[in-house]
Amino acid sequence: MSAGPAGGDVTASGGTGPASGGAGPASGGAAPARFGPRPFVTIVGVTARSVLSRRRTLLVLLFVAAPVLLALLARAVGADSEATPNVIAIALGDALILHVVLPIVALLFGTAVIGAEIDDGTIVYLLSKPVPRWEIVLAKLLVAEAVTLALLVPMTLATSLIVLAGAPGADLEIVAGSTVAVAVGAIVYVAIFVAMSVLTSRALVLGLAYVLIWEGFLASLFAGTRNLSVREYAVSIGGWIAGQNLADTEPIAVGFAAGLAVAVTVIAVAITIRTLGSFEVKDGG
Amino acid sequence: MSGPGWPGKAAGPTGRDAHAGPAQPGAESGAARSDARVGPGWRDRSAAPAPTGAPVELIGVSRWYGNVVAVNEVSFELGPGITGLLGPNGAGKSTLLSMISGLLQPSTGTVAIEGRPTWRDPSIYRLVGLVPERESLPAYLTGRRFVEYNARLQRVLDPQAAAVAAIEAVDLMPAADRSIGGYSKGMRQRIKVASALVHDPRILVLDEPFNGMDPRQRLQMMELFRSMSEAGRVILFSSHILEEVERLAERILVVVAGRLAASGDFREIRRLMTDRPHTFTVRSSDGRRLAAALLGRENIFGVELNERGVTARTADYGGFSRAIAVVAREVGVTLYEVVPTDESLESVFSYLVGQ
Repeated sequence: MSAGPAGGDVTASGGTGPASGGAGPASGGAAPARFGPRPFVTIVGVTARSVLSRRRTLLVLLFVAAPVLLALLARAVGADSEATPNVIAIALGDALILHVVLPIVALLFGTAVIGAEIDDGTIVYLLSKPVPRWEIVLAKLLVAEAVTLALLVPMTLATSLIVLAGAPGADLEIVAGSTVAVAVGAIVYVAIFVAMSVLTSRALVLGLAYVLIWEGFLASLFAGTRNLSVREYAVSIGGWIAGQNLADTEPIAVGFAAGLAVAVTVIAVAITIRTLGSFEVKDGG
Repeated sequence: MSGPGWPGKAAGPTGRDAHAGPAQPGAESGAARSDARVGPGWRDRSAAPAPTGAPVELIGVSRWYGNVVAVNEVSFELGPGITGLLGPNGAGKSTLLSMISGLLQPSTGTVAIEGRPTWRDPSIYRLVGLVPERESLPAYLTGRRFVEYNARLQRVLDPQAAAVAAIEAVDLMPAADRSIGGYSKGMRQRIKVASALVHDPRILVLDEPFNGMDPRQRLQMMELFRSMSEAGRVILFSSHILEEVERLAERILVVVAGRLAASGDFREIRRLMTDRPHTFTVRSSDGRRLAAALLGRENIFGVELNERGVTARTADYGGFSRAIAVVAREVGVTLYEVVPTDESLESVFSYLVGQ
């Protein structure tokens, strides 16, 4: 537990952290640990508590249940020659989960971890602490990603399995493809929405507009804009795993899609850390 | 008057003590001038002298929002002891406190804590405990959990013990295991103070800390701050309740329209404002006769008879204090009480605001 790269271990006297102690183990007895452990786990714990204590989280659960219920309904009604189980699974995965449920759940959790604290002003207790900003952002991001994935991955698995398992002519690779697509989409979306929540106080509205207008409509219109769509990265990677097209748009090359997904995520996280590093909190009026 | 931890006014590290500049007449003109010269984003690094390493130091600090100047060229240093920050709403108190605690970037100038600029340096928070004005707290945590959370963020070695000690210091142990969501206003204030104390900071910055506290809690909190001050801590608090500032602060900073209108001991400030009449209320055995005698003296602007006795206005604070006894003896009136009626912060303050 030596000094962190961001110098979070600066001692009260303005001296250097333990890393510069050249005296070696001989002085170890005289210099007991001055600080407790890094607060990463603490931030994760309190953030998880805050996310789970929000009433909005309960509403998200209902929302997440919708595709599963529709899958059950489709299974009960049964397939015909037009709507084979494969077609139904892809339609539920693309039209419902990837287009609607995934971005909105990612938006709600992405804006819940830092944005909610900025909104209600309690962020000041976190920012007025000697914690490097990257540590805060990574802890917050971990919670948002974990909660989003924990809800969406089992839900996607369940939805596609309900439609496909044991059905005649069912292509089970669609299960793996859809699940990976949702997982990839969740990771990238959450990173983007966390960044939005520190950049603007209207992250929820702007995020919704982005999802509906850009991702839902404009991005799939032209080949060029498709490269700037998280949904396209997700369906391209998922389609590659499923061995078939998971959406009605032309997929982008899987390597390209993966590279872009990573790049967008890393850039979003970097922007979040940078923005939080010079975040201004004006107290009171 | 000054507490043990506070070096005497003249001897203190704050050499610029106790000046009472008349507040800038017309803050708008000052604002306009600043804007014409420097736009937002402009940083005057070269012109600002380097920080000296005082516990808290502001050098030519300004802050504007768009065209509005919130803080205008403020410089001061703070040493150990309790300093009160006083000013009307919108004077820039919160902006100043936010800049001191590194949560707001100065548009120009430098805010330093022990010689280190506070902006974009989270490591200064080891030295600083902050009590923000806003009431919002994580409602889903108990008081104890919240203070422990702050202790862990500060990497205190034994966060549980530190939390208990801090909560005991603000006398909130009976409510420690209740959810903050159900706390009263006064309890919220106290848990905020506990969270700021938990790492035993050298510098405590409090924005309106007594808001919502009942008189008993207020007294107890003042006692706590006094004991911290005696232990050599630097305490800076803002308050709109003048009586609080008067009772607690050893030193006062008056901010009017974003400018530091006055700083120092408030009686000192008051005396420096010689162009303003001082008012005394005198209770005596014969108010009418005393009033008549006083009217004849030079430096007496006005005398009034009322139910409290004689109220006299004078330009000469010290002169009146000495002369009143002489006048009373000359006319054979017994003095019961001589009180400088406007020695409250209220009058100092409204005088400065009115400038």
